[in-house]
Amino acid sequence: MKIIFALFIILLLVFSGYHLTFRRFRLLVFARRFYLTGTEFLFLGLLLGPQFLNILDVDAQKGLAPCAALVLGWIGLIYGFQFEIKKLRRLPLDFFLAASLEGLVTLTLVFIGVYMAMIHYFAISHSLAMVVAITLGAAAGCTAQTALAFLPADVAGRRPDTTRLLRFISSIDGMFPLLIFGLCFSFNPSVEMDGSLLGGFGQGILSSLVAGLGLLFLFALFISHRRLKKDLILIVIGMTLLASGLALVLRFSPLLINFFVGFWLVNLSLDKERIYQILMTVEKPTYLLLLVFLGVHLSFDAPGLLFIGIAYCLYRVLGKTVAGFVVTRLNPNLQQYPALLGFGLLAQGGLSLAILLDFQLTFHCPVSTRVISIAVIAVICNEFLSPYFLERMLKTTK
Amino acid sequence: MMDRNKQYIADLKTYVIAVLLLAGFALWVKRMDIGSDWQQAGMTTFSLGFVLLSAYLVAQILKITGLPLISGYIFVGILAGPFITGFLNNEMVLRLRLVDDLALSFIALVAGGSLRKTFLLSRGRAIVVNILLLSLVVFVMVGLSFYFITIRLRLIPELSSSQITVLAVLLGVIAIARSPSSAIAIIEECRAEGMFSATVLGVTVALDVLIIIFFTMALTVSKIIMGQGMPVDFQAFGILSSAVAGSLALGILFGKGISLYIEKVKHDLPLFLLFFAFSVFKISLFLNAFMETRFAVSLQLEPLLICISAGFTVQNFSRYGPVFMENLERFALPIFVLFFSLAGASLNLDALRTTWPLALFLVMVRIVGIFGSTWLAGVISGDPKPHRRIAWMAYITQAGVAIGLAQLAQRRFPELGVYLTTLVLAVITINQVAGPITFKMALRLAGEIGGKNGISQEPS
Repeated sequence: MKIIFALFIILLLVFSGYHLTFRRFRLLVFARRFYLTGTEFLFLGLLLGPQFLNILDVDAQKGLAPCAALVLGWIGLIYGFQFEIKKLRRLPLDFFLAASLEGLVTLTLVFIGVYMAMIHYFAISHSLAMVVAITLGAAAGCTAQTALAFLPADVAGRRPDTTRLLRFISSIDGMFPLLIFGLCFSFNPSVEMDGSLLGGFGQGILSSLVAGLGLLFLFALFISHRRLKKDLILIVIGMTLLASGLALVLRFSPLLINFFVGFWLVNLSLDKERIYQILMTVEKPTYLLLLVFLGVHLSFDAPGLLFIGIAYCLYRVLGKTVAGFVVTRLNPNLQQYPALLGFGLLAQGGLSLAILLDFQLTFHCPVSTRVISIAVIAVICNEFLSPYFLERMLKTTK
Repeated sequence: MMDRNKQYIADLKTYVIAVLLLAGFALWVKRMDIGSDWQQAGMTTFSLGFVLLSAYLVAQILKITGLPLISGYIFVGILAGPFITGFLNNEMVLRLRLVDDLALSFIALVAGGSLRKTFLLSRGRAIVVNILLLSLVVFVMVGLSFYFITIRLRLIPELSSSQITVLAVLLGVIAIARSPSSAIAIIEECRAEGMFSATVLGVTVALDVLIIIFFTMALTVSKIIMGQGMPVDFQAFGILSSAVAGSLALGILFGKGISLYIEKVKHDLPLFLLFFAFSVFKISLFLNAFMETRFAVSLQLEPLLICISAGFTVQNFSRYGPVFMENLERFALPIFVLFFSLAGASLNLDALRTTWPLALFLVMVRIVGIFGSTWLAGVISGDPKPHRRIAWMAYITQAGVAIGLAQLAQRRFPELGVYLTTLVLAVITINQVAGPITFKMALRLAGEIGGKNGISQEPS
């Protein structure tokens, strides 16, 4: 009964919240930013979870796990659809290289910092420290477009080229971080009590590859004919469930496997427009569900977490700033863009959160809860910092 | 014709390869070592996807042969279920019950929305006559036949004569139950519209409401026969009447709410309707249990009645009927597929194996009863001759309602429960497999396939 009520409350709040958040809702500027990013749903999850009301207790979480898997799969599929090669080629190659490099540099810097900190200050195994560092690095590498969405038109109009570059980077810079995050799963992981990881790299890679190819072939069979829309809805839902479920059973990432499926679909399927339309029908509620599911796993039992979260956030700001500098100064064609480009890439949205949830659900252990709590603090801080830094960058640079 | 055949063969190849691939995945996953909770969740997620896609594919293959889609969904459910391959074991089927509940409410909304006031008024007499005769004739024939054959052949020697009488009364009343979900699914699939399909739908939905009353009456009579109760339990009828009236009134209120939502908000109607269907079912059950345990008040809200009434209100008392139905249809297919596949997985083949001769006999008697009553109802209502001859084919399907009634009776008379449930499950298994096929044939013979919007989704 608890699972049913939990699901009911979540759906009610997500549905009503979706309308408040993404539709016509007027609030003070500060509060509006809070609402418009959907951040309140993280707190809703926290409230429903074991820390407070305990409606979503461990059993309820188990019951809703397929729903979480579907959410991750759906987000992966949507993200894969961002990479339509035909459309990407319309923009300069330098933009693509900039986005890739920016994501990689941020990931690398954050990875090194987190890994060193983990080894020196926390008593966890090297293998788990590696996975945590990759996860936090990957989450740091992704950028959301929320800050750009809130940008006043007059400010955006001052540097239209920069805004265009920022938009492009923030829509695709999560690709390499996501792929590298996927490597954690290739170890076919299972976390032991001592925090070490078991599994085999070869077996993990092989089974994921076979599953991925099989799924692509199956999807190809389904869409080899033009289907009625209701049939296509069934196929998309069914394939997402199948792919996400298969990924979980194989201890692989539902996010990543569906990303590959989405990437393949957008580039090779004739039905891509109709499939994308179906995916976008429930895009917003899906993201809000993601926030609720992530919120449930938060725990602020240790007093130092808040400070570590802020430190991680600042370190990420540093990483983004360095990455922005490297991108604009390394490539002569991009030197016209501000050196502080990274200031415009601080918002950390849906994909980062999806990576965190994926990590929490697969590598579930006492450390993982604290790790995602730290990361979520950083995400919230970034949501507030990013519009300020972005405006400042666009106003001050010539 | 040659081109069409070539196309069918090409489609068939695609579907068969896809089914084999899916089966390969299922075998692979089944052999995996499932350890963590997250992997368990993966297994459930995978199973949902597997059932959805394989049922869709098998239904498409069967469609080529002219069988209704829901036969394909049920067939896959039976194959994947605990009695054949065991891919969906009993635990998994129970875990997926959440989908069932959502689907039932959703189907009830579609049922309500499919009933048009004007048509019901014009066919009112025929519907009433059909209901009266079907209830009476089927009840008497099934009950009496069971009684006499059991007594004569001493099929259940351990039961006393009064116990066999009670069993006959309960089996008779359960035989009246229909499956509105199957009727709606087939009418939707065939896009059937016309006098015949509207009458069948009206009778089926009305019987779904009335069966609760008939069943309560049968329970009262059974208690009297067993010497357990007062001659007439007026309190039970009072509670029942208020539950039915309350559910209908609540449905009207919700229907008005849905109309208001469509008028004022408009966005995301399919999502809203899914959410509505789910919450009505769950809140009704919760309120019933809560009032019973906390305040000793028997509320007995009927979620299906609420949803039927809500759908009927939107369709007939607002301007938004077509928008409402269009949005329901958008998500109807995955819901129908999952619902009927899980229904197939729940069919008890063990029960059928042990009682098949008696179950088959009861099925035949029930069919004869249905034929007699629908033929007579057709004569009285002045229906066209072909309709009189084929009407019986539309009323065979039975599903969840009948199982639910058998379980209720089992709780009330535990000493009869095993016989009743086993027989009912066996009879339903036959009816649920044969019913959709005969109903589709009836719609074809009535010439109403493709009547809605003039579009046929049938491979002609």
